[in-house]
Amino acid sequence: MIHMYLPIAGNSVNIFLILGLGGFVGLLSGIFGVGGGFLMTPLLMMFGIPPTVAAASDSNQIVGASTSGSLAHMRLGNVDIPMGVMLLIGGIAGGTVGVQVIKLLRAMGNADFLIAITYVIMLGGVGGYMFWESLQGLKKEKTGDSAEKVDPVVEKTEGKSLIQKLPFQYKFEKSGCEISMLLPLGFGILVGILAAIMGVGGGFIMVPVMVYLLRMPMHVVVGTSLFQILFTCVNVTIMQSWSNHTVDFVLAVLLLLGSTIGAQVGTAVSKRLKADQLKIMLASLVLLVCVKMMAGLLMTPTIMVALKGGH
Amino acid sequence: MGKFVFILSILMFLTLPGQPSEASEHPVSLELTDSIIKISTFYNGTTLEASGIIPADADVLLRVSGPKENVHLKVKGKVAGVLWMNKSDAELDNTPSVYMLYTPEKSSKLLETQGVDMGYSALAKGITIKPESADKAFIFAEYVKLMEEAGVYTVNKSSIHYKDVENGQKSFSATLTIPSKMNAGEYMVEAVTVENGHVLGRSEKKLTLELSGLPKVIAALAFGYPLLFGIMAVFIAVATGLIIGTLFKGGGGSH
Repeated sequence: MIHMYLPIAGNSVNIFLILGLGGFVGLLSGIFGVGGGFLMTPLLMMFGIPPTVAAASDSNQIVGASTSGSLAHMRLGNVDIPMGVMLLIGGIAGGTVGVQVIKLLRAMGNADFLIAITYVIMLGGVGGYMFWESLQGLKKEKTGDSAEKVDPVVEKTEGKSLIQKLPFQYKFEKSGCEISMLLPLGFGILVGILAAIMGVGGGFIMVPVMVYLLRMPMHVVVGTSLFQILFTCVNVTIMQSWSNHTVDFVLAVLLLLGSTIGAQVGTAVSKRLKADQLKIMLASLVLLVCVKMMAGLLMTPTIMVALKGGH
Repeated sequence: MGKFVFILSILMFLTLPGQPSEASEHPVSLELTDSIIKISTFYNGTTLEASGIIPADADVLLRVSGPKENVHLKVKGKVAGVLWMNKSDAELDNTPSVYMLYTPEKSSKLLETQGVDMGYSALAKGITIKPESADKAFIFAEYVKLMEEAGVYTVNKSSIHYKDVENGQKSFSATLTIPSKMNAGEYMVEAVTVENGHVLGRSEKKLTLELSGLPKVIAALAFGYPLLFGIMAVFIAVATGLIIGTLFKGGGGSH
């Protein structure tokens, strides 16, 4: 009774192991507002799940975890729905463009190389900057300097006048800023393109974009990110099931049971942590994945071939 | 007299070169404890017993093999002189999805016997590797490593046991491992008997793995109604998220 057979993945898994994995990633999702796809897919692959099935079933699981997490954050008043909708529209548009970019790169050859390099640069850059910035914030707090967190308004950024001149100005109340709707839309497109190229949901790029470029308060960032991820993953789950038959429902349900509970616990943990603590933890996680990827690229593989398409 | 010589010469013709056909006329007895394995909800692979009777001085080799398929591989190589990445493509045609060999103790000599046609070197001969320019031996060896890691290619040495020598015959038995990674489908279990460097006979039994219960229903839905299946998966995920979210609110799980 301890193992369950996964009919689409074509393998059986230990029920408690998958519940635990789901719980761990759900916890991260609740704390940081990331989908956790960049962690879950490689972990599932380690347990013998084909990559395509791992990625598709994970997106199904994220739907559940982000529903649970969004609900919890919504109760705490942490979701900026208009901002989430703009980022989502941009993300979907960017994702569509990104898929075409990947097709073009594959046709030109060397797409894998570009994907890996994008991954390492993005993870290293985003993680490194977040880590350094949060460390400065924590240091300042210790020495008693301005203890206040990130300025929630875009006012102090350079190019203020240009941003304010953009049409469709809107007051995003929860985020505490009045900016053009084109701004989150544009960032959404950018993240969508990157996410499609890298084959991930993009939560770990979206969160820093909201923190540093849109200057949203960290707790609203987490809730809004989860809200946006929910809809992105609904789309991915249906598409993957329809065109590739790669959603393993049994695997997704097992992950879900763990992750929905994990997301609730994560939200409670997130509430107790300071913004800089949250950022430094996420930055460490992103840097860890970056180091692991770099090691994978630099060390001689034990097996010199891999199945194409993962099935 | 002429008639007698004619019959004699026909008999001689039939008996002289006929060793292999004689062997196939008397195949090895081979029995499996199960010929159909049901893959149900809590299935985690299984084992089954293969047994039979062979001449007392003979040895037997067993092979479990899966349907043949064309496999597409990515071959790793160095990019920009430092980074290991999937670099080139290779195709292996006529490759069994499963290849498990069970041998008694002195397996290496037995595998070298002409006509046995078992083992990785025999397998390599039957596989076509493309492109022509590829280092075929290297790609095949790495492919075997990959399959061994997945548990679907194995060489189980000293896994066949003999007993009960009686009337010039003995019985053999082996426990065949069926990993959960072996998909539903039809497989072949084959036995080859070898004596004094010659193949005495062969026998084979069909082994069927089939989905049943929940896995069967899910696979039928996923492949038969993929759009509906995707929508259903989303609804169930959302419902689970909402239920857990509501439960936590009620239970005050924030502290």
